[in-house]
Amino acid sequence: MTGDVPETVTAALADQQVAGQVCLEAGAGVGNTTAGLLTAGAKRVYAVTNDADHAATVRDRVGDGNADRLAVVTADLRATPLATDSVDLVTAHGLCNVLPPADLNAVAAELARVARPDSHLVVDDYAVPPASAAVTRLFALENAAARVVDGRPALTFYPAGVLAAMFADHGWAIERRKTLLDPVPWTEAHIEAHSDVVREYADELPDVVGEPLATMADNLVSAIGSERAGTMYSLAFRLADR
Amino acid sequence: METRALGDTGQESTVLTFGSIALNWLEQEGANQLVELVLDHGVNHFDVAPTYGDAELKLGPKLRQYREEVFLGCKTQEREYEGAAQKIDRSLNRLGIDTIDLYQIHGLEYEAELDTITADGGALDAIREAKAAGKIDHIGLTSHGNPQLIIDAIDRIDDLETVMFPLNPVVAGKDGDEYDYEAVLERCESEGIGTLGIKAFAKGSWPPTDELAEADRPYANWYEPVDTPEAIRERFDFAAAQSLDTVVSPGDPKLVKMVLDAASRSEGMDEARQRALIEEARHDDSPVPEQLHH
Repeated sequence: MTGDVPETVTAALADQQVAGQVCLEAGAGVGNTTAGLLTAGAKRVYAVTNDADHAATVRDRVGDGNADRLAVVTADLRATPLATDSVDLVTAHGLCNVLPPADLNAVAAELARVARPDSHLVVDDYAVPPASAAVTRLFALENAAARVVDGRPALTFYPAGVLAAMFADHGWAIERRKTLLDPVPWTEAHIEAHSDVVREYADELPDVVGEPLATMADNLVSAIGSERAGTMYSLAFRLADR
Repeated sequence: METRALGDTGQESTVLTFGSIALNWLEQEGANQLVELVLDHGVNHFDVAPTYGDAELKLGPKLRQYREEVFLGCKTQEREYEGAAQKIDRSLNRLGIDTIDLYQIHGLEYEAELDTITADGGALDAIREAKAAGKIDHIGLTSHGNPQLIIDAIDRIDDLETVMFPLNPVVAGKDGDEYDYEAVLERCESEGIGTLGIKAFAKGSWPPTDELAEADRPYANWYEPVDTPEAIRERFDFAAAQSLDTVVSPGDPKLVKMVLDAASRSEGMDEARQRALIEEARHDDSPVPEQLHH
């Protein structure tokens, strides 16, 4: 069993050679793309995440029966333990929006290092949500809380052109762009998950600061419910030159 | 309204088929008006069944008036020769017509039923006999069941010309063979079998009867339907974008006008929006925790 594979992942991988390939899922999250890569017949998937909880979730979800094909690696994406020129296909599904601008370049360099010449890269992410969208207020609150605690934003939405240009700097030639979701359905489950992030930051702060943040998150969850807003795009690249 | 070839039957069906069960809930005058409204929107494919209360009787007058303009599908839940032969004659009689354009084996659920239907003395014998006698023109199948069972039926019934099955964003988003109606669509496309989509407007099951008594449900559908113009337009566009030949309207007459408008004004749906609907339906009951992303 490989678990449910989201339509976004299936659509992003549809025009990629996955079967028989060594793949790196950069930022494994809950394993959506790892599941998609295994379903599509990847020879091996390195699911890399810096979050031990995510690593455990991925193992639970797709580990069974895939022991010879799946390696869940807990590592910083700026310095992975993978060998140079060892990967045929790199995927970064919903990764970049959780990378602060300061880290983005180092991650792109590392992905280019581990990728073989002529290998492929798929980057899926969200366009900047419309300023008028209610979810924008929740994301702003998430970022405010993250900055107070960590000194860096939790979420950064990069326009497709910005990511295309940044990866091009590392030798990735863009081959195609497609829209994965239009609009993006931010369901109650997503809204709840993002407000949980605010609450986790709030817990690390003195009550006098943390409690109002948590209350604001609760109020936004009630006010938003669910919302359709913005788009999600997919960029595919080939490693042409380093 | 757009028309599409119904497989290789030679019929060009409108992309919306009128589910005539809606007539069962109306008095005759209202039923006549609804049929007129449906025809005014250009719909040329109707579907009915003997199990839909008085729907056959109430469809009769307007069907006879406009017989040349309507391609009529009817069905039987009988599995054996005798019952099926009787039901064909009964439907012809209740509808007051000489020929049913498409006669469908209705609600196939189990492999054993397929054995009975296709065996000597099975319903299929009666349906083929009726076809030879000119009482019906084409043979079809309907099922809410396992997609693989539908594919088995296609394998075992050489003269099957159409199939009717559920398709909506909720079903499309579920993994697993028991929801793989896409495989049915592909098979039908490769064999020239016509496809009719049902449950396109289903939102979900009704609440349990101890929470909402059957008598208190606001719609006559088997399931709770979407019921706003926007949601109906979206569900119609989604179903019509799945390469179905035609989409059957929901069973409650209160919804039919909105569905007619949706089908008349449909401009298709791009893949990014189809995926958005699937993902929206999929996420709220996903077993995977902590979903920040799609």
